[in-house]
Amino acid sequence: MNTNASMDLVTMNVIENTMISACREMGITLMKTSYSTIFNEALDFTCGIASPIGEMLAVAEFCPAQIGGMPLLIRSCLEEIPLSEIEPGDVIVHNDPYRGGLHTPEHTLFCPVYVDDELVAFTVAIGHVAEVGGMVPGGFPSEATEIFHEGIRVPPVKIKKRGEDVAEVWKLWLANVRTPRYNYGDMRAMIAGVEQGAERLGEIVRKYGIDVFKRTCADLMDYAEARMRAEIADIPDGRYDFVDYMDNDGVSDSEIRIEAHCHVRGERIVVDFTGSTPQVAGPINATLGVAWSATYNAILHLTDPSIPKNSGCFRPIKVIAPRGSIVNVDYPAPEVGGNTEAHPRIAGTVIGALAQADPARGMAAEGGTHLNFVFGGQDVKNNEYFACYDIEVVGWGARPFADGNNATDSINGNCRVIPVEVFETRYPWLTEEYSLRADSGGAGQYRGGLGTSKTWRCLDAEITCTQLTDRHDHQAWGLEGGGPGAAGQTLYQAADGTEWQTMVEAFNKRSTSKWSNVRIRSGERIRLLTPGGGGWGEPAARDPARVTADVDDGFISAAVAARDYGAGGPDGGHR
Amino acid sequence: MPAYLLGVDVGGTFTDFVAYDKDTRTIDVWKNLTTPDDPTAGILAGLGRIAEPSAIDNLRVGTTVATNAILERKGARVAYVTTAGFRDIPFLQRGHREHHYDRTWSRIEPLVARRHCFEITERLLSTGEVYTPLDEASVRDVAAAIRAAGDIEAIAVNLLFSYVNPVHERRVRDILREELPDVPVSISFDVLPKWKEFERASTTIADAYIKPILQRYLRDMEQRFRDLGVRAETAMIKSNGGEMTPAAAAEHPIHLTISGPTGGIVAGRAVAQELDCDHVVTLDMGGTSTDCSTIVQHEIAFTTNFEIAFGLPIQIPMLDIRTIGAGGGSIAWIDKGGMLRVGPHSAGANPGPACYGRGGTAPTVTDANVVLGRINPENFLGGTMALASDRAEAAIAGIAGPLGLSVLATADAIIRIVNTNMVGALRTVLIERGLDPRDFSLMAFGGAGPLHAAEVISEAGIPTAVVPIHPGQFSALGFTLADARVDLERTIDMTSQRFDAARATEVLQHLVASGRRDLERQGYHTDLVVQRVLELRYLGQNYELEVPIAFDEFTPANCARLWADFHAKHDARFGFAIPNEVIEMTTIKCTVFATTEKPRFPSLGERPPPVPARRKVAFGEDVIDTPVYDRATLGAGFALTGPALVEEAASVTVIGPAQQLTVSPTGHLVIGAAGEET
Repeated sequence: MNTNASMDLVTMNVIENTMISACREMGITLMKTSYSTIFNEALDFTCGIASPIGEMLAVAEFCPAQIGGMPLLIRSCLEEIPLSEIEPGDVIVHNDPYRGGLHTPEHTLFCPVYVDDELVAFTVAIGHVAEVGGMVPGGFPSEATEIFHEGIRVPPVKIKKRGEDVAEVWKLWLANVRTPRYNYGDMRAMIAGVEQGAERLGEIVRKYGIDVFKRTCADLMDYAEARMRAEIADIPDGRYDFVDYMDNDGVSDSEIRIEAHCHVRGERIVVDFTGSTPQVAGPINATLGVAWSATYNAILHLTDPSIPKNSGCFRPIKVIAPRGSIVNVDYPAPEVGGNTEAHPRIAGTVIGALAQADPARGMAAEGGTHLNFVFGGQDVKNNEYFACYDIEVVGWGARPFADGNNATDSINGNCRVIPVEVFETRYPWLTEEYSLRADSGGAGQYRGGLGTSKTWRCLDAEITCTQLTDRHDHQAWGLEGGGPGAAGQTLYQAADGTEWQTMVEAFNKRSTSKWSNVRIRSGERIRLLTPGGGGWGEPAARDPARVTADVDDGFISAAVAARDYGAGGPDGGHR
Repeated sequence: MPAYLLGVDVGGTFTDFVAYDKDTRTIDVWKNLTTPDDPTAGILAGLGRIAEPSAIDNLRVGTTVATNAILERKGARVAYVTTAGFRDIPFLQRGHREHHYDRTWSRIEPLVARRHCFEITERLLSTGEVYTPLDEASVRDVAAAIRAAGDIEAIAVNLLFSYVNPVHERRVRDILREELPDVPVSISFDVLPKWKEFERASTTIADAYIKPILQRYLRDMEQRFRDLGVRAETAMIKSNGGEMTPAAAAEHPIHLTISGPTGGIVAGRAVAQELDCDHVVTLDMGGTSTDCSTIVQHEIAFTTNFEIAFGLPIQIPMLDIRTIGAGGGSIAWIDKGGMLRVGPHSAGANPGPACYGRGGTAPTVTDANVVLGRINPENFLGGTMALASDRAEAAIAGIAGPLGLSVLATADAIIRIVNTNMVGALRTVLIERGLDPRDFSLMAFGGAGPLHAAEVISEAGIPTAVVPIHPGQFSALGFTLADARVDLERTIDMTSQRFDAARATEVLQHLVASGRRDLERQGYHTDLVVQRVLELRYLGQNYELEVPIAFDEFTPANCARLWADFHAKHDARFGFAIPNEVIEMTTIKCTVFATTEKPRFPSLGERPPPVPARRKVAFGEDVIDTPVYDRATLGAGFALTGPALVEEAASVTVIGPAQQLTVSPTGHLVIGAAGEET
């Protein structure tokens, strides 16, 4: 281990923990004061601290999708607003995917931290705002073909200047969204978060002194880098390739290839996505920030979780993402689904590739979608427009030592499902069932996790619905002989009907998984079946007692037990 | 004959006893080993110290039986009964993971098997309106299925939106009781009438899960106390820090989930009142873990967001205690990056720290304290247990080499890191909730709290530390100070725009009446005190701020005042308010107390100047010849400037070089920066 001998490890530990605590404090303010359920119930946001040149110094555990993109984000902003134009009391807002952002709903706020007139850091909040204008209520126009369909783009601008609101920016932003009262609340929450964080960080830096703080931050990043290098050194050298596909882009039928080539050499790793499909017309392209985030996310999952999460741990990792491809989209293509759908697919290919290097580190594929069911309509009770971004959860992949987790948010989020009782109190839906999908986990010595089933019936209203999901055609893969998880499905039933239809059948949409602006009226139903995770190892190697228990508990049916595991014959025995 | 007020805290390792003699106003404390297989045996053994059991006037017991039954999965086989379409709620949970990047994490299993989850036909809407009427035949079918399962010991019922309208849940309970008279039934409306179906399911299932075991335990304990000659009614300590009768506890055992640790907070509040400290944060540091909590303006912090383990919420109102895995037994180790870390692994009581000489070789916080000279190896636990300082040194030397530090510097680093971990826990209960450490005093107790308090306050920016009397038995002391207390709450859904004053008044008055009735049924009739609190937020937000009210009827005038109070409170807590915004009321809460007779801590009086022993103690890089005082010899008003140590049987208090100690009139040790008023 070649950590710098002069590092004061104890001071480093103290300052790191104090910074993480400040980030958590920011997050609590965001959670407690924000308005959108995607923010405060699902916790789709991140809070962090960055150096004046955009290196990430510390982050609190909220939503992982956003952390890998933070350095690029801040650097892009500083290209437009130079440090010399930033003053104490300023708060900068930004959401533009073509300026380092992840996708339009994700708004980044940052606040400079000054100590003795010196800019020492930025506090950063990245949060998913549910309504951003554009083609559909709720921010996921799955039939978009250019960035302008995806809602209002906010280049880096000051929303507060020297401590005062910049009214023009507020007016312009709020005039372009369907739920201004909610957007106002979410923006206020993020501002309060970064301001509170800035105050706290200022106290920390003053306590230790600017020099000690700077040196410690540099040491912290070196330390994280050393930890990551040690982890990579444990992975056998070699080139490992893996390919996975997305179903389609919502506006055409062709599948989309994501190809990862991982080159492991000593303490470094290069992930090359050359060979992936060129960028597509529909909104599932990933920005370069998303490709970085997804690659880092995958590698963090395969290495020691206690490595500090800062820019240092990313240094031994290099990403090659060809310009104009699905993993590095060029202006002005749409990309809102890149951050939610392409991200898990990119991360999955990296995990699949590295599982070949060391099967013990492997994990079969997870459902890899957030379902992204968005809708809007008139809230009669409170006499205003509502918009909701609903996330559903999927089965996770089995591991060499355990079954996959059931009903868990995809790898790039860590969101919570909105409770049925909160959902129905807020929106005019009746949830008829919410359950685990039996038989949706891939077979294997360790079984893939189960996806979920949820059925809504529209109550006395007209709701405009849109969805941007994936894995309706390409299932979550298994490893080492494990079977794939079940594909997802979205189904519709007419008010007086008994038959369930896909959106292609019912509304003549191009894609079953990506469809926009379908009006659902009283009595009509929507059913979301989420994908299951892949299995690990040959099903024949599964402990027969676990197969029996799965059947008794209904996680798998007797028929599937017989088909996949040869279980449940006349003597109830196993093969 | 004396008359005792007795508190008994059954902990993991020790059972602590505090006996207050009402006549002489003296306090006697002792402890003996806990008997985990039969916790009552350990209590009975300890009660042997009281010659005449009939002299016990009040007997209050805090127990870990409920917690252990859940954590060790030793509870009953439960059937879960719910609305058609929703039997998987306990398994679905909320969909998030405990840690982001931990591939090894597996979702926790609920306290019920999926094969024992049953659905009945009924449905309410979010307004409480019946959408699908209850099909009673479906309930009887479920009863038959439960009977057929053969071995179901308890039933949990949780129907959607029952917190708005309990009509179906109550009817289901009655039918199940009729069909299965021997199986206890818990319904969610009684346990937690609050929205969010998973959290309510988890809490209700946990109540059912521990009910049979707790009913047996409580019945047996009362009988054995009576057999011993105890005449007093036993009272159990609830998770809200109040007491309840064993009969009430048997009906809703979920209220015993964090029984033991509440005592330290109740005692902390009493000490804070005596010392005139407005705001106190408690630090209860034991062998394996440390608990933190706050007392603001003499009000104890409550939570309804407790999770006994990730994915197992138990959300009844209870004291808000943050626990971290840092204690005297926490093991110091070097991570793959060469960084020194402390905990969360602990050497526990067995083998314990290296210096215990019971085979432990890993360096622990206690070993570091021995090496630094802070713990006297000859005077540990009142001299009843000799420590091997050479083993402590050897254990620390084992990691000092790789760190390139001396043994002494390594021991100092271990203490700094464990102190940082504790400061982190303090930040979560203070700064992360908008409380300023500079306004607080730290109340340190537990075996290890007094050793660390002085350095923790310097690092945390807290001006004063208090090491109260009997820090080693402080929770049991708190039990002697407990009131009877019922906390009730109910979700309602209204806004300042569409406010139904009649309905809000009805819910409020119903809660107050229920709280009173609950206490009266337990035999508390006099001096009932009622507190009422509303949970409010801006329409759209998902988390509330509490606003206390003093009325029983909502009127336009007091509502107007209420909304104004909320705007002001939001501004104070989060730094902004949104004037004219619609305010949502989500929950009405009510607390009813019956105050009980309290001990008064005896005055110390002045004592002759104490004569300290001396030994070498390390403070940072300096090794200082330090005076060591016996706490029993310190009189009221005694003061000194550090460095110094104060030893007593169950603990050692460290006073740092730039700090000052003052002994309060009743013997609490108050530590602050030298030269400042403490």
